[in-house]
Amino acid sequence: MTQPTSTSSAVTVSTSAAFVATLKRDLLVAFKRRNDLLNPIMFFLIVVTLFPLGVSSDPVELARISAGVVWVSALLASMLSLDNLYRADYEDGSLEQLLLSPQPLYFLVLAKNIAHWLIAGLPVVVLSPLLAYMLYLPQEAYVTLVLSLLIGTPVLSLIGSIGVALTVGLGSRGLILAVIVLPLSTPVLIIGAKAVTDIMFGLPVGSHFALLGAILALTLTMAPLASAAALRISVN
Amino acid sequence: MWLWFSKLGSPRWFYELSSKWLPWLYAAMAILGLVGLTWALLFVPEDYQQGETIRIMYVHVPVASISLACFPLMAVAGTITLVWKMKLADMVAKCAAPIGLWFTGLALATGAIWGEPIWGTWWAWDARLTSMLIQFFLFIGVVALRSAIESPDNAAKACAVLSIVGAINVPIIKYSVEWWNTLHQPSSDYSMDPVSPNPPEVWVPLFIMICAVYVFFVITLILRTRNEILVRERRSQWVKDLVARA
Repeated sequence: MTQPTSTSSAVTVSTSAAFVATLKRDLLVAFKRRNDLLNPIMFFLIVVTLFPLGVSSDPVELARISAGVVWVSALLASMLSLDNLYRADYEDGSLEQLLLSPQPLYFLVLAKNIAHWLIAGLPVVVLSPLLAYMLYLPQEAYVTLVLSLLIGTPVLSLIGSIGVALTVGLGSRGLILAVIVLPLSTPVLIIGAKAVTDIMFGLPVGSHFALLGAILALTLTMAPLASAAALRISVN
Repeated sequence: MWLWFSKLGSPRWFYELSSKWLPWLYAAMAILGLVGLTWALLFVPEDYQQGETIRIMYVHVPVASISLACFPLMAVAGTITLVWKMKLADMVAKCAAPIGLWFTGLALATGAIWGEPIWGTWWAWDARLTSMLIQFFLFIGVVALRSAIESPDNAAKACAVLSIVGAINVPIIKYSVEWWNTLHQPSSDYSMDPVSPNPPEVWVPLFIMICAVYVFFVITLILRTRNEILVRERRSQWVKDLVARA
């Protein structure tokens, strides 16, 4: 007796292969649309530039707020690019195919989130020392800033993904995505920015990184579940 | 137990049963509210530091404690909605969100009124104030999401997911903010000792006020839920009969 599930046309794809394929596809799509790739970095740059213009060009004052400015700008840049995560896929129907695929949605969502971080999060992390220099961040704080962003920005992508998944089906969303995502992102912002500020005052920052790591571990395991559930609701 | 559970999920059954509860709840609220307010406003001794200002505590603390309870309530109702697809749970979740928003707003407002004479400022970036403000935003998010999604079924599930995520996040926000900055006094211990800083003559009326405001919250929630039941079940026969009789 033949197995009822295997038909001649069905190709079984392992979960890891599907994970890699989703990741590759999202990165490829981003490379084909250069705007998606450049916009988060440009936005990050422009927002940071606004602060000296709006606050003061005084080096002492700028140094004091530099950690917070870089962190808030990174948060906004990540949020602004969230739409790319599911919006286009929802409109052209490929999101439905993703939901119908036999692999666990958790891993596919995770792959998409990692792709988003590579596109919108990592460039910001890489660019942050340059902007920190322009904001007169003290030298001893550079490593902490980059490390805190490196651990913190994936959390922003993972949490933001829940918000986009919940709102992707809405015709006119306006600011609702920001209203949902920003309050949820505050713990990362608080801890990340405080780590940089504390190192500037010569305080130990080990506990900050422990907390950031704990939040990353929590969101890495839980957030894709919520995103997957939200996607199934939105794409009905 | 399971029969009771599935019965409670029926909006009609809840509607009929709650109309029996309401008179008792009104009575309880009237008694507790009258006793608590008169006691708190007229008979509690002045605080040796804060004077008459301390009396706003009897509104501030109950309101704040309920606003904290509201997110877990929505998360539980949301879980029931997602797992057992119980219609009533979603109606409760839907009605709890704006009430929670109001109570959080009231806690912030009464806190500001209390803070002005005591701390000398209406607002401070203190841990509890900030975490309340962020919770206020979270409530706005839930209410906004509910009103943005047209299909009631989808709105129910989406808000359930958001409430659960929010409820997990509320303690994280609370601790991160607390660790960030704190000025707010910690909650006082309750003590039966009359010479303790928090003697029974201070906290017993507070306890009564907390009960009174909780009953008020339950009444508001039930009344809103009853309206919601009538709106959603407006095509069903029992609602038509009810309207015809009225």
